[in-house]
Amino acid sequence: MSEKADVWQGTLTLMVLRTLETMGSLHGYGLARRIEQTSGDLLQVNYGTLYPALLKLEQEGYIRSSWGVSDNNRRAKYYELTKAGQKQAKKAAAEWEQTTAILARFLAPAEEA
Amino acid sequence: MRKLRALWLRLCGLLSVEQTDSDIDAEIESHVDLGTDDGIRSGLSPEEARRQALIRLGRVEQTRQAWRERRGLPWLETLLKDLRFGLRVFAKNPGFTSVAVLTLALGIGVTSAVFTVAEAALLRSWPAKAPERLVKIVSTTPEGEDPMFSYPDYVDLAAQSRSLAGVLAYSRHEKMLRVGTESHLVLDDVVSPNYFSVLGIDAQRGRMFSAGSQTGSEPGVVISDLLWRRVFNADALLVGKQIRLTDRNYTVLGIAPPRFRGLQRGVPTDLWLPTHAESAAYQNDELTDRKMRDFELLGRLQPGVTAAEAKVELDTVGRRLAQAYPAIDKARNVALVSERERLRETLVPFFLLMTAVGLVLLICCGNVAGLVMARSDARSKEIAMRMALGAGRLRLVRQLLTESLLLASMGAALGLLLAVELLRLQPVLMPPSEVELGLDLHLDASVVVFTLAITVFAVLVFGLTPALRASKLSYVSVLKDERAGTGGGVRRWTLRNALVLSEIALSVILLTAAGLVTRSLLFSRAIPLGFDQEKHLIFFDLTPGLAGYNPQRSVALFEQLQDRTAALPGVRHASVARRVLLSDSGGGLARRVSIPGVVLPQGQISIPIKFNAVAGNYFQTMGTRLREGRTFNSADNPSTSSVVVVSQTMAERFWPGQEVLGRQIQIEGKACQIVGVVDDAKINDVHEVPEPYMYLPLAQMPSEEGTLIVEAEGNTEALTASIRREIHSVDANVPVGVRTVDYLMQQAFWSDRMAAGFVGALGLVGIFLGAVGLYGVIAFTVNRRSQEIGIRMALGAERKDIVRMVVGQGLKLAVVGTAAGLVASFFAMRLMSTMLYGVKPTDPIAFAGSALLVVLVALLAAWIPARRAAAVDPMQALRAE
Repeated sequence: MSEKADVWQGTLTLMVLRTLETMGSLHGYGLARRIEQTSGDLLQVNYGTLYPALLKLEQEGYIRSSWGVSDNNRRAKYYELTKAGQKQAKKAAAEWEQTTAILARFLAPAEEA
Repeated sequence: MRKLRALWLRLCGLLSVEQTDSDIDAEIESHVDLGTDDGIRSGLSPEEARRQALIRLGRVEQTRQAWRERRGLPWLETLLKDLRFGLRVFAKNPGFTSVAVLTLALGIGVTSAVFTVAEAALLRSWPAKAPERLVKIVSTTPEGEDPMFSYPDYVDLAAQSRSLAGVLAYSRHEKMLRVGTESHLVLDDVVSPNYFSVLGIDAQRGRMFSAGSQTGSEPGVVISDLLWRRVFNADALLVGKQIRLTDRNYTVLGIAPPRFRGLQRGVPTDLWLPTHAESAAYQNDELTDRKMRDFELLGRLQPGVTAAEAKVELDTVGRRLAQAYPAIDKARNVALVSERERLRETLVPFFLLMTAVGLVLLICCGNVAGLVMARSDARSKEIAMRMALGAGRLRLVRQLLTESLLLASMGAALGLLLAVELLRLQPVLMPPSEVELGLDLHLDASVVVFTLAITVFAVLVFGLTPALRASKLSYVSVLKDERAGTGGGVRRWTLRNALVLSEIALSVILLTAAGLVTRSLLFSRAIPLGFDQEKHLIFFDLTPGLAGYNPQRSVALFEQLQDRTAALPGVRHASVARRVLLSDSGGGLARRVSIPGVVLPQGQISIPIKFNAVAGNYFQTMGTRLREGRTFNSADNPSTSSVVVVSQTMAERFWPGQEVLGRQIQIEGKACQIVGVVDDAKINDVHEVPEPYMYLPLAQMPSEEGTLIVEAEGNTEALTASIRREIHSVDANVPVGVRTVDYLMQQAFWSDRMAAGFVGALGLVGIFLGAVGLYGVIAFTVNRRSQEIGIRMALGAERKDIVRMVVGQGLKLAVVGTAAGLVASFFAMRLMSTMLYGVKPTDPIAFAGSALLVVLVALLAAWIPARRAAAVDPMQALRAE
């Protein structure tokens, strides 16, 4: 095992949505770097799954993409949330919070027992 | 919704593979560039930065693959690839493909067509709303079931039954429909006024008559969609108009919907007349006489009432009727056949039929399986190579199954086309008739589903075994060219031989039968009919009785028409007869005859003898030869003494070897003198045994129906029109029907021709299947033995020796199969002896002909793979060692 954790299956989508929600428009490389930074460099994004995940989100209509030029004049494909994507980001976040809250009850030390 | 949208985009992605690849490549490129820039910014050299960026990116090809799979639909892509590959394989083997597809199409087409016919003839329910609630009402008598009721009995039944919401009655008749100068014979149903409301059928135009309109002031009629289109050219304004039926005008009330053809299968009703209109038209006894059982009944169950409950109640009603009218309805009881009971009865013949057809389909599938197996054996190297290169077993099975599916779909598509064409044959196959006959046949959803089921079945039968077998090959041994799986092969080998042998034997039996029936037909053609069928004869069937003529006036009309017609240019002879020969209209026209000085069988005083009443020079017109004495002339009229002309058989039966002319016989008590003897003629049927027959002068035996017989010199069509005009000008009200001698002959030989055609077609199908089966077996062994053949050729065998060896193997199978078929035919053909005329069931020509044909076709089937075997390059075959 590497010292950095891989992104769990299923959570990558949420991270992408949340990152795009806060950052607006980002290219794939920037998105990956941003996710790694946000995790305090605890996570390492697997590019082999990032690009298919982006494609899936685009096919589902949550994000859209367009080719643009980066700060240092590199051609790059930029992604941003659509209306549906913004809604989905909120919904997915709420669902995740609920899930973690439920899990937290299991993980908490048994007090009342 | 989101899922659908994504699926749609992925489908689109499937279609634009090249463009998307460049897209992901550019994105990865830009990713690396951005990473390199980051590296440079953090103080690395450009080369090192790029190296680090690439390391971080990881395995590019995997990323690309994952992206691509997300982009399109991988399974669909594989399927398309398999299909494309399959099509390419088929295109490279057009011979194999066309034979396999044809075989399947034949099986699927015939099965679908037979299913459609069987469904229409047996399974299809009443053409009504909620047909499962309809019940057929029948009488049970000591002699068996009788579906016919008298109208008064019907009225009582309908009034007394509580468990039936409605009971309808219908009775079949014929009428002459007059449109302009044209007359059409039509079939009408006289029906109870509630007929359409019980069935739940509404008019497509106008209205149906209803139980309420009992007044009978204006006779109304509902006509069928078929008649409306055929005779009235779908005239949109017909409703409300008057049409002339026989001798009365009727108002068209409405037009029935297209799918409704009446309640009798195979004989569509042209129009419907309510009973009250008919009772106003004729004071006939049909509606009032309890003895005249002319009506069939159909009832609709009251909601919530079961068929069993209704049965109990009708039984009581029937008993009450029998008590009330003991003289008529005694020992008759009323019973009821529910729709489920009717279906249960028809299911047995339906399944028998479908089992027989299913066997044919099974043979087709077996043959195609044989072909596929022969080919997959030849392809085993290719398959082994692909497995060696890493193709998964599942992937290979899938590939082979896809090929089978492709083959089956092509077969099914072609088969459905074939089925449609077969169903179109119906009008050609129906017996010649003046009314339209036939079932309402159409391929509907059930047949398409049926075909799909057959296709899946076919794929399983012929696709799975070879696919599994092929993928089970040990590829190492195949690549080393050791034949694998010979242990299992031997058993399959004999099984396939048995299949081919039985196919060949079966086709011999069918072809022998076809040969016998065809030869019988040829002999039948040469049977002397007692009249000259080569003459251009036209028959005008006249029924002045329907226009109000009595017999005496009718005869006057006939004589007038006969004279006027004879005067027309192009007419050689014209005469009138009450009956036309070879018309199968019962032949019930007979008179009781007693013969002085002749002892009749069983000491009877008189016997019935069939007769015809003729006028003019009938015998000359028809070409019936006068053997002795004279024919009739104008002197034979009501005021002179009665005369008769007898047939040869009659003369020989009663006065063998004696003088016949001048003798007296009593016809219905009236003395008649025999003035002539003529050749025997066929009265009803070509194959009938000659019986005593006599001719009377029409003037002395008047009739209100008769046929004007005209012998034309040449062109009959123009003459027919002018004679029609002539009849019309004399009295436009007399209904006329026209037949020609060709029509007469077609009708007479219809059943013989059908039998020959049907058995012949079956025989050809059989021989085709046998040839395909034989080809499959021989091709299979040629592939197996290609090395052996190579060695033989290397050792000096010539190509023709190889051909002889392979063909010999096929010939052996063919001869064994043919011999078995001939033996089976010898026994089977005895069953046909009653159908045959002029040939014995052991006719050597039919037997030899079918055997020869089968062996020749078998030789051809074996010759094709033999030629391929001879083309083996010995060097190639040996090098493979």
